[in-house]
Amino acid sequence: MEVTFHGVRGSIPAPGPETLRFGGNTCCVSIRSASGVLLVLDMGTGIISLGKQLLSTEFGKGRGHGGILLSHAHWDHIQGFPFFAPVFIPGNRFSVFGPAKSAAMLENILEGQVNPHFSPLQTMKNLGASFDLVPVPIDNDPPPIVWRGIEVSGRPNPHGPSTCMAYRIEENGRSVVYAPDAGYPDTGPTEEVLRLYQGADLLIHDATYTPEDRTIRRSRGYSSFADAAYAAIRAQVRRLALFHFDQDYSDDAVDGIYARCRDLLDSLGGRHIELVESREGSSVLL
Amino acid sequence: MKLRFWGVRGSYPVPGLTTQRYGGNTSCVEVRCASPNDPTAPRIILDAGTGLRRLGKEMMLGPFCEGKGEAHLLVSHTHWDHIQGLPFFAPIYRPGNKFHVHARQRDDMHLRMVFALQSDNPYFPVPFDAAAASVQFHELTDDAKFEIGPVKVRCTRLNHPWIAIAFRLDYEGTSVAYVTDTAPFRDVLLEHEFIRQPPKPGDPLHPEDAAKLAAMREGVVRLCEGAQLVIYDTQFTPSEYIQRPHWGHSCAEDAIEIAREAGAETLMLYHHSPDRTDAQLDDLLGQHREQLHRDGIPLDLHAAFEGMEVDLSPHGLHVGQASSRSMGQGHKGQPGPSEEISWK
Repeated sequence: MEVTFHGVRGSIPAPGPETLRFGGNTCCVSIRSASGVLLVLDMGTGIISLGKQLLSTEFGKGRGHGGILLSHAHWDHIQGFPFFAPVFIPGNRFSVFGPAKSAAMLENILEGQVNPHFSPLQTMKNLGASFDLVPVPIDNDPPPIVWRGIEVSGRPNPHGPSTCMAYRIEENGRSVVYAPDAGYPDTGPTEEVLRLYQGADLLIHDATYTPEDRTIRRSRGYSSFADAAYAAIRAQVRRLALFHFDQDYSDDAVDGIYARCRDLLDSLGGRHIELVESREGSSVLL
Repeated sequence: MKLRFWGVRGSYPVPGLTTQRYGGNTSCVEVRCASPNDPTAPRIILDAGTGLRRLGKEMMLGPFCEGKGEAHLLVSHTHWDHIQGLPFFAPIYRPGNKFHVHARQRDDMHLRMVFALQSDNPYFPVPFDAAAASVQFHELTDDAKFEIGPVKVRCTRLNHPWIAIAFRLDYEGTSVAYVTDTAPFRDVLLEHEFIRQPPKPGDPLHPEDAAKLAAMREGVVRLCEGAQLVIYDTQFTPSEYIQRPHWGHSCAEDAIEIAREAGAETLMLYHHSPDRTDAQLDDLLGQHREQLHRDGIPLDLHAAFEGMEVDLSPHGLHVGQASSRSMGQGHKGQPGPSEEISWK
């Protein structure tokens, strides 16, 4: 399984010289399974560059079939959708999984993105690709989704006034956990959520803030790198990638977050946990 | 009148190495009208793309931080790249500040509802009504004329899906026309209908459409007439336009034609394609400047970049660059004072 980061920024894209190294695009991570299946985690602006790369594959010929897994519907996780090149090519097919009560609700969420007031596309029906919309129940124990040899389990995390799904993606005994936008209470993640993270080969975890900045922005429902480190240690994961950096954090600030997170892991007995830099365009092979 | 460009991109924001010099933020231009005789003249902002977020941080260093600011937002249309900065505009979360949003009336719902939709559950955690500042909406007709203090504003309709309008500002002998987003006025009439098959440029038009387009073009030329500065949507190159004439954007060639006919002094290429690299924009600007020079046409041509400042006086216009510090860059990643209150 190969995991690639296409956008690691939270809230709003942050172009500028101070975000060049980690990148300024909003949330998008892709997984290429061992059998070659593409699963995309969230559709922030990072998905736009992924879309351009996919044009040289079967998606360029209208013969692609990909999966899209949505954590929640905040803009920074869906705003790249109307600019994702493969959706304009007839013949391509996407299975979209996202938290909603029904397929109709999921469709309404995506339609709101291409509503004629906001987008010249006017409706998803004008896109060339076809979409199978699969609602993911926001339960504590939803049944796993088995899709083209990949198994996906989800659990909701609190995220300010709403919730955000964390997902565990498994194939042939390899596992990636994607946990963006996690605003835990003081007690940390729930037992169910820790079980979801348990022993993952890679945990991609919300680390929007430094602990200092998080204390004055708790109501927004995000983690600091310290929350990510505690979760990684409690769940005994092998690798940790920090994710969803605040739009105002420069590359130097993110370097600082990684360095402090390393120190914290080491001091808590997590020396064996590999800290993976989540720069735009970088990949991890599992 | 003093202008500063905070976002110059069309369609979507593009962070990255190849867009670093011109900038990757979507449409937003700040206009300051204060003269030495009139320090209270209003602040005007043209469009609310992602450039607005940084402008908001800069505004929070002044009276907007104390809830004593007032500004007018002139919005060409409500496509994402022209409004997506508003939920991240810190001054609207500060009680006491006053904002006026001027945009073309929608044909099926009130303007306020369109803006509120952007901040609605499940898309954004803070509803629009939670903005503590006063936000008043002013619904405009296609050819509205109104005044913001001493600034005279005129509008005219543009050729864009779901309809956009252009603005002209006149203030103490200085003038700017802001013309974005628009297709040229010759191949297809863009209104509310979705156009599936792009028309072939040059194919004959329905006479009714042709008449509407001719009137629209005339309106744009009149709006730009004698303007010191025309800022124009030039997202496409001619070869891109031929493939997508129904997307509602122009080329530099179209902007030059309108600016010349209107007798404008300076033309600003704007709303750059997200795919256009810095090097390509340099080339594009260089080629068109050369062509104008060869043809002996006295039109001053520039391409907008983030941080560009244009100083207009009745005697002329000066183009410069703001310091990166005053653009809210170069800080060490500590969120500004505005951030704490903005999402509560």
